[in-house]
Amino acid sequence: MPKVEFTKHMGIPFKIGQPKKQIVPKTVERDFEREYGKLQQLEEQTRRLQKDMKKGTDADLALSKSAVKISLDLLSNPLCEQDQDFLNMVTALDTAMKRMDAFNQEKVNQIQKTVIEPLKKFSSVFPSLNMAVKRREQALQDYRRLQAKVEKYEEKEKTGPVLAKLHQAREELRPVRDDFEAKNKQLLDEMPRFYNSRLDYFQPSFESLIRAQVGYYSEMQKIFGDLTQQLDQPGHTDEQRERENEARLSELRALSIVADD
Amino acid sequence: ALSSSLRWRRAKARATPVRPGRVPGAASGKQPGRRQLTKARERAALPRRTHARSVGRAAPARALRGTRGAEAQTRRGAGEPGAPGAPAAASPEAEIRELPQGDLDVLFSNIDDVIEVNSKFLHDLQETASREDEQVHSIGNLFLEFQEELERVYKVYCASYDQALLLVETYRKEPELQREIQGIIEAAVPQAGPSGLSFLLVIPLQRITKYPLLLQKILENTDPDASAYPVLQRAASALQDVNANINEYKRRKEVASKYTKVGQLTLRERLARINTHTLSKKTTRLSQLLKQEAGLVPRTEDKEFDYLEERLHWVSLCVTETKNNVAVYLANLEAFLRFRPQESELDIPGGPVVQYCSLMGDLQLQAFPDFKQRLEGLVWQPLCSLAKALSGPQNLVKKRLDKLLDFERVEEKLLEVGSVTYEEQEARHTYQALNSLLVAELPQLNQLAMRWLGQILHTFVDLQRDLAKQVLQRAEGSLAQLPHHHLSEPAFRKLVEDVLGQTGHQLRSFQENFEKVLPPPTVQPLLPGAERQVQALLSRYGPEKLYQVTSNISGAGTLDLKLLRGQIVALLQNKDTKGNSSRWLVDTGGHRGYVPAGKLELYRVIPGQGEVKEQVQPPKDSHHLTPEPSPAPVPSVPTVTQVVAVYPFVARSSHEVSLQAGQLVTVLEAQDKKGNPEWSLVEVNGQRGYVPSSFLARAPSPAPWGWSLPS
Repeated sequence: MPKVEFTKHMGIPFKIGQPKKQIVPKTVERDFEREYGKLQQLEEQTRRLQKDMKKGTDADLALSKSAVKISLDLLSNPLCEQDQDFLNMVTALDTAMKRMDAFNQEKVNQIQKTVIEPLKKFSSVFPSLNMAVKRREQALQDYRRLQAKVEKYEEKEKTGPVLAKLHQAREELRPVRDDFEAKNKQLLDEMPRFYNSRLDYFQPSFESLIRAQVGYYSEMQKIFGDLTQQLDQPGHTDEQRERENEARLSELRALSIVADD
Repeated sequence: ALSSSLRWRRAKARATPVRPGRVPGAASGKQPGRRQLTKARERAALPRRTHARSVGRAAPARALRGTRGAEAQTRRGAGEPGAPGAPAAASPEAEIRELPQGDLDVLFSNIDDVIEVNSKFLHDLQETASREDEQVHSIGNLFLEFQEELERVYKVYCASYDQALLLVETYRKEPELQREIQGIIEAAVPQAGPSGLSFLLVIPLQRITKYPLLLQKILENTDPDASAYPVLQRAASALQDVNANINEYKRRKEVASKYTKVGQLTLRERLARINTHTLSKKTTRLSQLLKQEAGLVPRTEDKEFDYLEERLHWVSLCVTETKNNVAVYLANLEAFLRFRPQESELDIPGGPVVQYCSLMGDLQLQAFPDFKQRLEGLVWQPLCSLAKALSGPQNLVKKRLDKLLDFERVEEKLLEVGSVTYEEQEARHTYQALNSLLVAELPQLNQLAMRWLGQILHTFVDLQRDLAKQVLQRAEGSLAQLPHHHLSEPAFRKLVEDVLGQTGHQLRSFQENFEKVLPPPTVQPLLPGAERQVQALLSRYGPEKLYQVTSNISGAGTLDLKLLRGQIVALLQNKDTKGNSSRWLVDTGGHRGYVPAGKLELYRVIPGQGEVKEQVQPPKDSHHLTPEPSPAPVPSVPTVTQVVAVYPFVARSSHEVSLQAGQLVTVLEAQDKKGNPEWSLVEVNGQRGYVPSSFLARAPSPAPWGWSLPS
């Protein structure tokens, strides 16, 4: 039995009951709930995606800025004035970091424009949808109520006043029923269409997202690859690097002025 | 463990029997306790000049050679690292007694190096024996040759000797361990006597200090005209230098180890250290400093040291700042990796969305964690180690300043008084040791630190490049599958802009469509006869004053009205006599009274209500419909053509027509020829005529707002 929503529209001076007739077929109701359910999940996921994207890009910006700070602070150390080699290295590093930061900013802007903004727009349709579904529900309740009323009169003895009231009730019922049917159909048509539109909507955004990332990392590879060459570094494996670090530490510890522990 | 080396030692010891009191010139005994022998030889050598000279030269030389071997072997035997787990043929006791490797390292330090150098030295020394005439000359040269190496190995041994002694002391306190050790040593080297281990350990010390003396002895017995003389002289002074350097090295090491850890004391430890002695020290320093500040006392300027100190300061600053910045970078990286947009379930089966999710998923699985891990191991950890290593020297620099103040005080006193106490002398030495140590080692420290920092930064750059490479390797695959991968970036951006514009429109239309789903008609049908009433109210009060009741009003108070939902009333006053604006005075057309304002809704009356309206079919495609901004309350428009007669009516003239209750009639006009709405023109049973309008039931049913009706 469909549940009865007790609304404020209870001005009728006799009891409201459930209509005997199943006014909305079970299949229709099920279809409606399925479609709306999918959209509700989509709403949730879209909201989450939007939040994660925003937070992700904020973190991305912060990361890039902290990389720039490393080289910036090095550059402002007085050692740079004394040691030409050091200065050269730090300047090259700083240039690289600043360029990467610029590319990162551009990447984030692109993501903002082609992913986050569109997500917001997509999300903004949901309140209207939810309101529409609510109104359909209201219409359904009214429909049920009036249907029950008609059935009530139909069961009574067919006197003149009863007939008149029955006719009146039927007249009241008709527009409400039509209204509900119309709303129901509208939503049943529109909801799947809206749900499917997500395909057309998200694919360009995500394509843009991938391209933005690839573009950024291409620059990164180029800039740091060039820098490595410029700094004239031999290629090391991680084991070699670890050994180097151990060696440097031992060298330091060999000095008496360095505490060994 | 000791017992395994024990057997070896025993063998060696037997091979070199003890032979005290030998005739000068004969092959030497090879046992420890050389001291007595040497002295004996020397004494024997002195009376007979020429012979003594050569003998005096030879004996020490041979003495040197001789004891070399045995000693080295003994030492080696004892120093053999008690390899843990070497299961000697031993009782469980021996295994329990096994000394830890660390202890052995402390005890015997770099004895292996010492032995190595000595072996070479011995070898070369033995060779000189063959060349009788030039023996002394060769010996002198040999010493000069070996000067550096001797200094190098012996200084390390001597520096750690004190610690070794301390360790021996602790062993002494454990009687069983002591007995065991003693037993082993006595078995291997009986001359060691009761002092055992310490006796053995001190021998290299004695040896190196003996060399200058031996050389001096040879020198005395050498003809000043001999060609060997200058060489010997140089050798003698060289070995003296070696000893001096070893002492200096030892002192620096002591000073360094004493003061590098100063900064790491806890507050409690610091407080525990305070006593009258330290307090007086500090006050003295403070007064010295103040005197300097006031210009009363000249400050010792040491430009060289200042330069080194400044450089150290900047290097430390560099390292610390970089370390902190890298920490922040790592924290940001962690935050960045926490957000995973690819985990949203959009229910999209393929295309760029899926590509993106799989790409990011893979990167989060491999490339990014690798990067983070490498960063931590190859950049962050080394920076921490480097920063820590620099803290010791920084402490020493601070301590040096304190010691400098002490030094200056003592120098002052020296000038004034001419002599200083032992402690003051010590304070001078400490400062000098510390200062020279720092001056000697700071340049190297700075250089090493900068070199390492440079390497770390290079690694940082490499890691970034590697990350980019890894990401691209994975991403190229995804990129190739994108629908527009062939487009250039500007072209693609234009395309996306256009597409998003279009889809934006589409979204807007969706939104509009949803907004067109209006609230259901809230207006109740008018009760019979109400229409007339409405008209009456309308004409008396005007349309702006008409309100419709939205829900039943029970009308509890005396002046309150009892109204049904849907009824139309006219507003007289929007507050009651007490000024309560939620209680309105209204006119129903028949009665007046108060009703709650919340239950009234403005009633919009469409002009020309009397006309029958045709139902308009809105176009099927609702997308093109212009939406109404807000739904007005639906007025009761009598557009219905069929009504039900509620009461029977008997026609009294030919203009009228009879009605039966419950009969369906068709309303043609809702007013008579004079416009009087009290009569309606109806058609019933094929007949037309007028009937009272109030006898008819009306149910308004305008077309649902803005909807295309199902066809």
